[in-house]
Amino acid sequence: MSFPSRFFFLLAVLLWAGLARTMEPEPMILSAIAAGRNMDQTIAALTQAVVNHNYTFVRQQAIDSRLVPYAREVRSVRLFYFCNFAKMDRALRLDPRAAQLMPCRITLVETPTGVDLMAVNPVWATQNIDNPPLHEECRELKRDYLAILEEATL
Amino acid sequence: MRLLVVLLAGLLALAASAEPVSATKAVSLRQAVDDLTLAAANHQLVLVKVQPIDSALVKRGFGDPHVRILFIGSETAVRWAEAADPRLLNMLPLRLTLIERDGRVTVLSDDFEPWLREFPTGEAHLFLKAWQAELRSTLEDFVGQ
Repeated sequence: MSFPSRFFFLLAVLLWAGLARTMEPEPMILSAIAAGRNMDQTIAALTQAVVNHNYTFVRQQAIDSRLVPYAREVRSVRLFYFCNFAKMDRALRLDPRAAQLMPCRITLVETPTGVDLMAVNPVWATQNIDNPPLHEECRELKRDYLAILEEATL
Repeated sequence: MRLLVVLLAGLLALAASAEPVSATKAVSLRQAVDDLTLAAANHQLVLVKVQPIDSALVKRGFGDPHVRILFIGSETAVRWAEAADPRLLNMLPLRLTLIERDGRVTVLSDDFEPWLREFPTGEAHLFLKAWQAELRSTLEDFVGQ
């Protein structure tokens, strides 16, 4: 193969690889498992991980908080909210519809073997919003979620 | 030509379904929260939390985005989600985003379209449709007040 042919072949392969990467469907949920831990231990680890990534803890509550009397609340499913105010400000300036990602949230479900952690993938959730700068913010937010989930379940 | 019309109709239908449930009303942010709470109650939905992200940002020295978030829900929705697919729990309580511009407040739900696409059939799909319809009638009630 001559040099120009090789060059164009390589270029085509790189373009195809790049395109394939961008075409890869985004998962709906980002998840991790804290194996062998209970809810309190996982929430403590999550709080620390959030702080380590420059986010502020906002609140945590049962999934049915305020929907049932406190004594009847489900203990095995909790919602954990956190926020980075500078990122929130930036995203809202780009598009107020970014509010659907706020505050950041991880849902924790206690199982017999540990705790499952789930977050809605911000890239997936905003795919219908035609605003490329917002998509870049969402990709950064996704990276933060993944890092927090990983650290919290180490 | 007919094929083109069919394709165009399909695209338009897709675009329409992609839109989140929304409503606009000439009202202040504070009044909108009160009106929405009442409208939600009329549809057996409870106000779970008002997230004043506008004042939270202002308190920390950022500009006022004139955006507030409301979470509304029902115990039934939680039990449905638990039974159908735990991933649905991520959508509860249901979120409404309030955006104030020029004396009017626009209320937006989360976008249901990617969720419905992810759950194209079965119980989860029906529950999502039911929540979407509930939000739509709640917002109609809000506008009608």
